[in-house]
Amino acid sequence: MPATFVRIERPDRPPPLPRQVSWHARANAIALVWALLAVCAAASAGPLGLPSWLPVHLFLLGTVTNAIITWTEHFTVALLRLPATSDRHQGVRLAVLNTGVVVLVVGATAALTPFAVVGAVALLGVVVVHTLALARASRGALAGRFAHIGAWYTAAGASFVLGAALGTMMLFDAAGPEVQQRSLAAHVHLNLWGWVGLAVIGSLFTLWPTILRTRIVEGAGMVARRALVPVLVGLVAGAVGLATGMRWVALAGIVVYAAGVLVCLVPLVRTGLRKRPTGAAAWSVAASLVWLLAALVVDVHTLAVHAPHEVHAVLQPLLPLFLVGFTGQVLLGSLTYLLPVVLGGGPRAVKANTALLGRGWPVRLATLNLGLPLTLAPDPWGTAAWALVLASAATFVLLAAVAVLRAWEVTASPGLVGTGLGAALTALALVFALGVPTDEESAVTPTGRTSTVDVALGDMVVEPGTVTVDPGDALVLEVTNEDAQPHDLRMENGTRTPVLAPGESATLEVGVVDGPLRGWCSVMGHRASGMEMTVTTTGDDLPLAEHGEDAGHGEHGTDSAGLTGERLDLSGEFTRGWEPVDAELDPAPDTDEHEVEIRVSESEQEVAPGVRRPVWTFGDTAPGPVLRGRVGDVFDVTLINDGTIGHSIDFHAGSLAPDEPMRTIAPGEELTYRFTADKAGAWLYHCSTAPMSHHLANGMYGAVIIDPPDLAEVDREYVLVQGELYPGEPGDAEQTARIHAGLPQGWMFNGAAMGYDHAPLAARVDERVRVWVVTAGPVGGTSFHVVGSRFDTVYKEGAYLLRPEDDGGSQTLDLGTAQGGFVETTFPEAGHYPFVDHDLRHAEGGAHGHFEVEEP
Amino acid sequence: MEEAVWAGVRFLHVLSAMLWVGGQLTVSLVVMPLARRTLEGEHRSTVLRAIGKRFGSLTAGFFLPVQLGTGIALAWGAGVTWASLLEPGYGRVLAAKLVLFCVVMVAATLHGATTRTRPRLARTMAMTSLVTSVGVVLLATLLPRI
Repeated sequence: MPATFVRIERPDRPPPLPRQVSWHARANAIALVWALLAVCAAASAGPLGLPSWLPVHLFLLGTVTNAIITWTEHFTVALLRLPATSDRHQGVRLAVLNTGVVVLVVGATAALTPFAVVGAVALLGVVVVHTLALARASRGALAGRFAHIGAWYTAAGASFVLGAALGTMMLFDAAGPEVQQRSLAAHVHLNLWGWVGLAVIGSLFTLWPTILRTRIVEGAGMVARRALVPVLVGLVAGAVGLATGMRWVALAGIVVYAAGVLVCLVPLVRTGLRKRPTGAAAWSVAASLVWLLAALVVDVHTLAVHAPHEVHAVLQPLLPLFLVGFTGQVLLGSLTYLLPVVLGGGPRAVKANTALLGRGWPVRLATLNLGLPLTLAPDPWGTAAWALVLASAATFVLLAAVAVLRAWEVTASPGLVGTGLGAALTALALVFALGVPTDEESAVTPTGRTSTVDVALGDMVVEPGTVTVDPGDALVLEVTNEDAQPHDLRMENGTRTPVLAPGESATLEVGVVDGPLRGWCSVMGHRASGMEMTVTTTGDDLPLAEHGEDAGHGEHGTDSAGLTGERLDLSGEFTRGWEPVDAELDPAPDTDEHEVEIRVSESEQEVAPGVRRPVWTFGDTAPGPVLRGRVGDVFDVTLINDGTIGHSIDFHAGSLAPDEPMRTIAPGEELTYRFTADKAGAWLYHCSTAPMSHHLANGMYGAVIIDPPDLAEVDREYVLVQGELYPGEPGDAEQTARIHAGLPQGWMFNGAAMGYDHAPLAARVDERVRVWVVTAGPVGGTSFHVVGSRFDTVYKEGAYLLRPEDDGGSQTLDLGTAQGGFVETTFPEAGHYPFVDHDLRHAEGGAHGHFEVEEP
Repeated sequence: MEEAVWAGVRFLHVLSAMLWVGGQLTVSLVVMPLARRTLEGEHRSTVLRAIGKRFGSLTAGFFLPVQLGTGIALAWGAGVTWASLLEPGYGRVLAAKLVLFCVVMVAATLHGATTRTRPRLARTMAMTSLVTSVGVVLLATLLPRI
């Protein structure tokens, strides 16, 4: 391969490239392959369900980092007249770099954190070696007119090391959401403003006049030398401020950085005014600088009005614009100029390649720069604009590839080309064979019905974990981000929500569902941490889903095939030291203003003999604390969410607009719920965060007892809150299916199945005993009965059905889901009197206990 | 008995593919480098051309008819229809395999047609054909799993 020249303007004479540049061509070919992959990933991100960070990192780590490493080395060596590093050295460096990128990208995509970390470390290592080499080389160089260039590249490399180290740490996903968001913002700032920005600006001092075929204006060298320190200090301060949450430090730092960059742009613009840009290379670089300016303005504004942890979420939608508009375009412009030069082949070949790379450039330039702002428009315009922009970028990549291949025809072995062609064709065939088809041929006929389901994105959880629809139904998900950090929801069929900031909602039209479909959050690491959901159709392999049909009609499906053997074994003993929730009810405190603090927590509880389950609780136990008062009392409740997902509270005993007091609060937040209990009764309270059935099924309920004004004195008072027990972890697929099917695994009084068989309630002969009963569900009610006794007083839902002076008696207190009342009885003689829910499935499934009645 | 017949058809299909892919690999990895190293100018091109010609006639006379015949029979036996070729899973893998097989044939034909006139293109096509043939085998191994 013939030696070629990069004609970088010099006062004396153009510096000859000190050696063959074949490896430049090779490195550029690699960068082009990455660019093509990035374009493909961006274009297919929807249909293949790839995460949105993939094209970004393919482009930045593949294309841009390869280009920066190659060209910064090249410019330093050429401009400072240094001896060249050996080709082999460079080859090894690029090989390690690109292997690192592949391993990192594959590792992070497949959630194999160790792989990703190894890749990231390899990448970091290459940049460190490269930066140190540049720093050492340029320190030794004569302080000439271009002495600044080594310093700029060293600064760029240092920024990358900091930024990439932050990025690597984020692979572990260990920090809290706010820290994570701040680190992310710092990571993005260091890499884009530092690694990309500093390398580009450092190069432009010489490259820009070269492209314009003129000299840079006087004084540019001084600007380049003096501006670097404030620019770098500003950037580092900005990043530190973002990472640590020091808002004003971050803002001040980035303002200093922006001001420094503006100062650097002045000589560049003056040069451009003196010699008007002509041709593809010059105009692309000029356009990229406009995007740079716009990005600086937007960034400074964002930092000024948003807290550091919000910065990334605000900027994220705009990032692709910056990546394509500035980074992509400056690279495009530079390569348009540089590629023909390094490909060489004599003046004719250079001219031909320049013409090839410039083919249709005014149209491409206009499409890219006009299309980019339009990508922010709502679909279908946004998607159409992206298609145009990506097509414009892909055209350049293909033209450049043609130029590279053309130049290689002289040397490239036909064997290599043939192998590459064959491999590419095979890869295409594999993609076609294994790709997820876009929903063109549905196996089922659409029913025309639409199911709408609320989906909550929480802290590493999607609720509900399973959604079941009839085959052929169109599914619409109302997705709300209830977490403190951004999430999105992406379905396997390619439909997805935008990234939702905390509290934001979006409607996701999933389309006609004809089979199981997975969904997940595509923010890096979140899927691996459990942010997944499944849409199943009735009749799918999931046996429980079939019972969903029966849910509305009662529980007649119990013990049908598929569920046998899943009943709890209730014959065992509770763990030593276990104590039941105290059923004894104290009289109402002597106050008419009750101050109550309830903390939501997540813990474990022994819910049946020897069976511990995770529970969500009000005040550490399921059910939560009993509140008791008299008619007219005011309850001032402070709810504090110590859990890891959003929760709320709903007191049936009060009457008010639910909007504020019943709102869901994020972990760490608290709210005040003030109600006046102006009606007597046995009331339920519960968590009302969607899906409510999950929160109730996992223990978030309790009772409020408001005494009727004429309530008689009795000897003993007990309260029993009846709830249901579901298998599995809160929110997992099995539990969700069981809840939807209305098939609890057990029934509990006060949070333990068979609990009061092991810790009986005490009474004495002839004592008057009052039992308050409240049903929490979430599915069923009760038919409360005390074996061996009759009730002479029955109070249900605010009214007496029976009083002692009446002639009749009562055998059970029947309560629907979420109702309450009390019964009174006396025991005629000593003995063991079982109390049960007389729906005997429930009694045998745990809604069972007994009174131990002794002689007075 | 029927099972044995199908096994025989499958055996022929695999055998013929093996010969074709294996033959190409042998020529590219063993014969060509040795020929280039040990044989001189005119002699070398005569030998290589003869090898190419023999492999070509073997392809046209044995490999292609057997492969097409057994392939169609196997597809018919498996109940493959045109419509089923577009269905995800088995259908699409098979369709991809057929298309790639056509590519192999085009590359091989181009190789044969350009040996004299454009030797570089011919070599390129030979490698394309070889690698793509391996791709067809790869897709074939994916078939039963899907």
